[in-house]
Amino acid sequence: MAELRRRGLITAVVCSGPFVKLGRTQARVFGVPDLPLIEIQHPLGGISLEQVRGRADVAAARFLELLREHVK
Amino acid sequence: MSDLSTLLKAPGASIEAEDDFDAVNELVRARGWGDGLPVIPPTAERVERMLEYCDRPWNEPIAKIAPRYGDATPLRLAANAVMAGCRPEYFPLVAAAVEAMCEEPFNCYGIQATTHQCGVLILVNGPVAKELDINSGNNAFGPGRQANATIGRALRFAQVNIGGAIPGLGDMATFGSPGKYTYCAAENEDASPWEPLHVERGYPRDASTVTVFSAEGPHNVNDHEALTGEGVLKTMAGTIAIPGANNIYYDGDILVVFGPEHAATIARDGYSKADVRNYLFEHARVPVGKLSQENIERRIRVWPVFEGRFANAGPDALVPVAKRPEDITVVVLGGAGKHSAYIPTFGQSHSVTRPLKRRDGAFARSVEDFRRR
Repeated sequence: MAELRRRGLITAVVCSGPFVKLGRTQARVFGVPDLPLIEIQHPLGGISLEQVRGRADVAAARFLELLREHVK
Repeated sequence: MSDLSTLLKAPGASIEAEDDFDAVNELVRARGWGDGLPVIPPTAERVERMLEYCDRPWNEPIAKIAPRYGDATPLRLAANAVMAGCRPEYFPLVAAAVEAMCEEPFNCYGIQATTHQCGVLILVNGPVAKELDINSGNNAFGPGRQANATIGRALRFAQVNIGGAIPGLGDMATFGSPGKYTYCAAENEDASPWEPLHVERGYPRDASTVTVFSAEGPHNVNDHEALTGEGVLKTMAGTIAIPGANNIYYDGDILVVFGPEHAATIARDGYSKADVRNYLFEHARVPVGKLSQENIERRIRVWPVFEGRFANAGPDALVPVAKRPEDITVVVLGGAGKHSAYIPTFGQSHSVTRPLKRRDGAFARSVEDFRRR
């Protein structure tokens, strides 16, 4: 993902809450500190398909915002 | 000393601290560098003594440790080894374990950042184990010997202080394991009826190696009654066949540790190590009915073999814990007693063996081969 970001593609990483710090650290380590992180509700395992869809809706909406910002 | 003085002048290479044990430990605690236990202050003098057993340039990285991908230079490793309480002659093993841990098949990033509890078990083979008094007998996974206690601790410090495996930040383990304080032992080669692990992996018997495993704690396998090798193996297979360990879901290797008495019974009945692996591969299986329905559905999605063999096979169909007999590593360790141990692993990781080699490429016959002249 960091490599794609460096190439100028619109990128984002989806993290559940407790993993956001790890995501930020990794983005710095890989030289893309501005890599957008999209936070979703934890957890991802042990939830119903309906709950997964709910998290996907949140992530997709935020990614659309990113796309729109990029197009501007 | 001049070499080290120059290196320590580089930005960030050293810090000034009060020359006081408690003050240094307070600093270590405040920076999150330790494991919660007191550390030996890594003064320049102690670090230089540690580096007496390093035959490589002190500031050239021997590996990068994920998830921070920090440079593991001998200088940094030596500071961590001092903090952990290592004697200088242990240093070649610490360095070899770091190199092994950072090889691709081990999946260092995964084992460091995972929510799984695994620590890194260092298993030592060859003459160096005796030279350094590494326990392979009674209580080998427990406390008592300086080498076991501090070599594993030094590796853990390197994981945290160089690799960034800071709890809740780079180490996301749900609850971790006591094996993350230290986890180091030697194979009890004298008590083994089989070839030791390093010979099995292609190294001369008089070479010394370290093998790293992404290990859970050892789960005891008690069988005081079995009179036959098959009896002991049956108990071991039954212990391995659990639905909650990562190994049934992934294709890494697992570690099976036989106590010398169990190993003798098994070997007496004609089982080679390969026979043991084959037996355990065939019998260490979990009935599909013991897996949750959601897990079965996931297995069907991610492992095509599962769908063909198990999706419609009914609850009594048996799912292997190891995907191949070769993924079952067998060693002999411990003292007297009718006990063995099963050590599940992270699953998405393969154990890695590294020989102790001098800079000229020859196998080291002793840690003294690394001593600077």
